[in-house]
Amino acid sequence: MNTDLNFRKKQKRIRIVKSTLVTYMMLLPCLIILVFFVVYPLLWVLRYAFFEYDGFRTAKFTGMDNFIRLFTRDADYWKSVGNTAIYAIGKLIITVPLSFMLALLFNSRLRMKSLFKAVVFMPTVISTAVMSMIFYFMFNSYNGIVNQLLMKASLIAQPIEWFGRDTAMLTAILVAIWGAVGNYMIYFLSGLQTVPEELYEVAKLDGANYFQTLLYVVLPVLGPVLQTVLMLAIITSLKGFESIMVLTGGGPAGATDVMYLYVYRTFFPMQGEATFIPQYGYGSAVAIVTALIAGAVTVVYLRASSKMDSE
Amino acid sequence: MRSKKIRWHQVLLEFFKYTFLIIFCIVVIYPVLYAVLGSFKSNYEVTLGGTLWPKEWLFTNYKEALEQFDFLKYAINSIFLGFVTTVVSIFICSLAAYCFARKEFVGKTLLENVILGTMFVTVGTVTLRPIYQLMVKINMHNSLMPVVFIIIAANLGTYVFLISKFIKGVPVQLDEAARIDGAGEFRIFFQIILPLIKPVLGVVGLFSFRSAWNDYINSNIFTMTRPDLKTLTVGVVSLRNGLQAAAQWNIMLAGAALSIVPMLIVYALTNKTFITGLTDGGVKG
Repeated sequence: MNTDLNFRKKQKRIRIVKSTLVTYMMLLPCLIILVFFVVYPLLWVLRYAFFEYDGFRTAKFTGMDNFIRLFTRDADYWKSVGNTAIYAIGKLIITVPLSFMLALLFNSRLRMKSLFKAVVFMPTVISTAVMSMIFYFMFNSYNGIVNQLLMKASLIAQPIEWFGRDTAMLTAILVAIWGAVGNYMIYFLSGLQTVPEELYEVAKLDGANYFQTLLYVVLPVLGPVLQTVLMLAIITSLKGFESIMVLTGGGPAGATDVMYLYVYRTFFPMQGEATFIPQYGYGSAVAIVTALIAGAVTVVYLRASSKMDSE
Repeated sequence: MRSKKIRWHQVLLEFFKYTFLIIFCIVVIYPVLYAVLGSFKSNYEVTLGGTLWPKEWLFTNYKEALEQFDFLKYAINSIFLGFVTTVVSIFICSLAAYCFARKEFVGKTLLENVILGTMFVTVGTVTLRPIYQLMVKINMHNSLMPVVFIIIAANLGTYVFLISKFIKGVPVQLDEAARIDGAGEFRIFFQIILPLIKPVLGVVGLFSFRSAWNDYINSNIFTMTRPDLKTLTVGVVSLRNGLQAAAQWNIMLAGAALSIVPMLIVYALTNKTFITGLTDGGVKG
């Protein structure tokens, strides 16, 4: 009797061990990816931030030197941080209201709704890098189609130099807006669709007009969704640099350099930059500070928006 | 009197609504149309700007791009990268998702938090150099495979949680019945679960394919020393830095069209999946 129970217990334990093993086997590919492509590289960066390392000579421990250099002697980096702020704010200030307006339209009665929606969303589907190449060509100051169209419409008398020192950022922002509106529109729309139909009816019965309904009924209900979409928008505009990399490469003279592009260039010096020697140790320090800045912005935003909620 | 006034008001509103939409859609479509139509123009006509519609339809741009500029190779590489990423991503993410949805194991919460963490930390640019160094060490840096894994790692959290949410909707009784019939874990996964979660696998597959097909930064790095492995996106952008770039806009546009048009066809066929997938899972674009 007693042995029988023991035997069963043992069998059960074997079964549990076996099933745990199978579970880990199923998780293995995922674990391998996490370890080699996320955890290891992050630890690498954390380590080499305190080293002088160029990939060829052996790394030399230098303590906080990299950080001191970053905070005291690297004006270019801080300029790129400022540019990131301009880029992000410029992009969001147009994209968010525009995509919200479009979402409102798509939430109303509309003919050929799915066709319009498919078109608006389309930029999200195609390659940012390739589209940036096409925009680079279209915004060409000397014979680009944008200048030609504007001149034909008599909006400008002389061709605009779209990639000049003062205008390159504007061009980059325009391209970013083109690529982002459809994406955010879908997020807003899915939020709008969670607002119950009855609320609209009640508001109508109370005699509220369209804007009153929007302001006092829809927006409060939409609060959490808006918060998430805005956070996503902020994060993506802080980290996005693919488009700028293709359009301007950060130029001219660093006018469109954004912080993640700066990080990228310390790790992978771009073509034609003979003076830009690889500096992985310094790059790691820059990467950490950049990630912290992006994180801090997100935290500040979350704090501010939750404060707004509680008021 | 009054009702007529309201109707006018509404007609005007409708008019503005459609005008706004149509103008916006034209702005969205124009660059794409410009590129695709431009890819049939001669280089002279392209640099001249002028009209949208080609005066004369030239297919030689494509011939030249495919043969002399290696775009045939690039297209094959893009197709390879796209399909491998899709298949591997579905396989790895659904296996992990099954464990999260159905199993209890030591370290579950920890692993969940690590994966969740990857969704919030922007790892992409920051980790590219260490990954490259690691791949050099194991002699995999001259291959597109690291790109496959980087793209999967970047989206792991979203995909795993999306699929696991879906698996939780499948009745557990189905697994239990199979288990009583003597089916092993892998068999249950492949024969019971996978067929039932096809819709969500479609979404994950589609998003993986898009990320891989459109990837530029990672593919660019891992093909620096192997130009024959370049994908379409890398090929198109590298024309910008090429010496003759200024003289070869027609080739650039043909290459761009080769990258854009297949994706647009995929999009046209799966439009609903794309949009519902985005809103259901909060998959970031």
